[in-house]
Amino acid sequence: MNGWNLAAAVLLGAGGTAALWGVTTGPPARRVIAQNMTTSAVCPALLLLSQGYGRPAYVDLALLLALLGPVGTLVFARLLSGDLSDGRPGAWGLTWTAAGAGTVVVTALCVAVGPGRALVKLLVTGALLIGGNVIASRALAGGFRGVRGG
Amino acid sequence: MNRRTAPRAVLLAAGELLAWWAALALLWLVLITTVDTLERIVGAGCAAVGAVLARAGRRAVTWR
Repeated sequence: MNGWNLAAAVLLGAGGTAALWGVTTGPPARRVIAQNMTTSAVCPALLLLSQGYGRPAYVDLALLLALLGPVGTLVFARLLSGDLSDGRPGAWGLTWTAAGAGTVVVTALCVAVGPGRALVKLLVTGALLIGGNVIASRALAGGFRGVRGG
Repeated sequence: MNRRTAPRAVLLAAGELLAWWAALALLWLVLITTVDTLERIVGAGCAAVGAVLARAGRRAVTWR
C-alpha cells in the first residue's frame, strides 16, 4: 500500500459512495448530477491506481472513461430534458470541486511521471476529464438551450 | 470549373485535411505504448480516415 493507492482508495471510497448514494436517492435532477460526478471520481482514481500499481494500461481505462462519461451525461441531458426543464439542476460548487480534484491528481501524476509521451497522455486525459465535466454540467444546467435540438 | 473545384477551394480542403491528419497522427503516436514501424503505418492510415470524418463532421456543424 503506497500513497498513490491510498489516495485512490480514499477518492474511490468517498467519491464513489457519495455518487452511488446520489444516484439511488432523490429527484431525477439530483440523480443525473450524481451520475455525471461518477466519472470525476472514478477517472482520477484509475489514474492513481495506474501509478500505484505501475500498470500503464489503467491509464487507457481512465482515458476511455473521461471520453465516454460526459458523452453519456449529454445523452441523459437530452433524453431527460422534459424532466429537467422545470428545475434545471445546477451544481457548480460540486463541478468546480471535481475539476479541482482532477487537476490536483493529474498535476501530481505529471510531476511523478516526468517528461515524455506518458506525460502528454496524462495531459490529454486530464483535459478530457475536466473539459468534459464542465461541458456536461453546463448542459445539465440548461446552458446550451440555444443549440438546435439541445 | 464551378465553385467546389476552384483551385483555392481544393487547396483549402487539402490544407484542412492535412491539419486534421497531422493532429490525429500525433495523438496516435502519443497514446500508443510502443512506437514502431507497424504502429506508424497503422496510425497514418487511421489518421487519414479520421481526417476525412473530422472534416465531414466540422462541415456538418458549420452548415447549420
